Amino acid sequence: MRTFRGGLLVGLAVAVAVAAVAITYERYDTRTLKRTIRRGEVFCGVNAGLPGFSIPDDKGNWSGFDVDFCRAVASAIFDDPKAAKFIPLDASERFKELQNRKVDILSRNSTWSMSRETNYDLYFPAVAYYDGEGFMLPAARKIDSALDLNGSKICVQAETTTQLNLADYFRANNMKYQEMKFPKLEEVVKAYDSGQCDTFTADASQLYALRLNLSKPNDHIILPDIISKEPLAPVVRQRDDDWMMIVKWTLYAMINAEELGITSKNIDEALKSKKPEVMRLVGTEGSYGEDLGLTKDWAARIIRHVGNYGEVYERNVGAESKLKIPRGLNQLWSAGGIQYAPPIR
Amino acid sequence: MTKLRHLIWMVVAFAGLLLSASQSYAQQPDVGDQPGLLPDDSVELDPEYRKQMVYYRTSEAPGTIIISTAERHLYLVQGNGRALRYGIGVGRDGFQWQGLVNITRKAEWPDWTPPPEMIARQPYLPRFMAGGPGNPLGARAMYLGTTVYRIHGTNRPDTIGTKVSSGCFRLVNADVADLYDRVPVGTKVIIRQKPEL
Repeated sequence: MRTFRGGLLVGLAVAVAVAAVAITYERYDTRTLKRTIRRGEVFCGVNAGLPGFSIPDDKGNWSGFDVDFCRAVASAIFDDPKAAKFIPLDASERFKELQNRKVDILSRNSTWSMSRETNYDLYFPAVAYYDGEGFMLPAARKIDSALDLNGSKICVQAETTTQLNLADYFRANNMKYQEMKFPKLEEVVKAYDSGQCDTFTADASQLYALRLNLSKPNDHIILPDIISKEPLAPVVRQRDDDWMMIVKWTLYAMINAEELGITSKNIDEALKSKKPEVMRLVGTEGSYGEDLGLTKDWAARIIRHVGNYGEVYERNVGAESKLKIPRGLNQLWSAGGIQYAPPIR
Repeated sequence: MTKLRHLIWMVVAFAGLLLSASQSYAQQPDVGDQPGLLPDDSVELDPEYRKQMVYYRTSEAPGTIIISTAERHLYLVQGNGRALRYGIGVGRDGFQWQGLVNITRKAEWPDWTPPPEMIARQPYLPRFMAGGPGNPLGARAMYLGTTVYRIHGTNRPDTIGTKVSSGCFRLVNADVADLYDRVPVGTKVIIRQKPEL
């Protein structure tokens, strides 16, 4: 009897201990970096197909702004942009799959918002791309400000935050508009292209992509005004600070590189520079890389393999891409935009 | 007999002309300046270099011109977080500069007197050229401070977006005329350069 009760107690204690360890492991898993290094590959959750951001070609080679960011993280860790595996995720499953550790990082045009961080126990380290709702209209209308859109007939997708933002913006500015709403985005595009409305609203990055498919793309302009906040950011799990730091500083290294004029083409020259800010970034001075758990040349690797922020932007969504989205908000803070990285020092 | 001699001389002269023409062509280090060439109006600018209103956050006052050499863009600040952006051609490597100047003079269809240092580098250039469509300064010129540099038009619209000039900033004629009508003498011009490594 005694031994039975004893055994029961021991068993119970073991069960409680195991449960405690399991819960701690679930909530305080701080081993993403270790796992990634052991595996030799970064697992990236991406959009299954969004031109300019992440899209595979017919041979399965991925390209895009979000894809390049993952390659930058892989370059910092492994000195190899190919050490990144892309796992397409649906909008509905993306945060769950990150929590379940199917991926190490989400780089999937996800808007940073407070409830997403608190409800899903996730963390958005830094804004990679400032998106927001904009307006497309025929160039022939000769309008260059959203404040001149009073009385417009506006096509919008129904039941979206886009529709709500539109209403807020017009009310706040005391302007009237006629709403033409459709349940599907393709229907909105069709309606606009056939002239059922004289203005089309959606997120600016989307407008540039959708314009390519209009019957006469060059006849339409997209206003520089952005009326809502859609900060797109990579996402990681909370309480895994080593990993979060690497993701965050990968982005900041790319932005700082652009500000300092360091590109994938002049990186070898930069390694010989005697300018202190350049030396700290490329690792010829200080131990910033080691302090991240990486090597001295972590940032030089990113710049060499993937490029600075501006190079990645122009190649995927900017002037050198089909989309041709002007830098706008995503220009450096020192050149007319709001992209700003804390210094490496 | 005189006829044949005539013919021979003509052939020799023609050959000489061809040779000198090809020679002077070979001497041109770049395609930036082709005095006399009429602008090709069919040249369509890359969307990036077409005149357009863009988002631009700055503490500079509306009416200020900001030139970004690395981007090949000229911004005319409008206030309210926006700027009118034009595509430009800039100085080739070694001929780029930065600083703060004012527009000191404006001229329509300006004459061109290439400065001595430019003649020394490109001896084939004319010493003087009257204003007109074949003039490399194009339809308008805005003189920058006391420098030899100008914001001007061009007879080579295909060079917008490139670095070929001797330090001037060129726009297509339609754009330079548009800018000319928007800015008075005294306008502040900020020229920004890519940072040095």
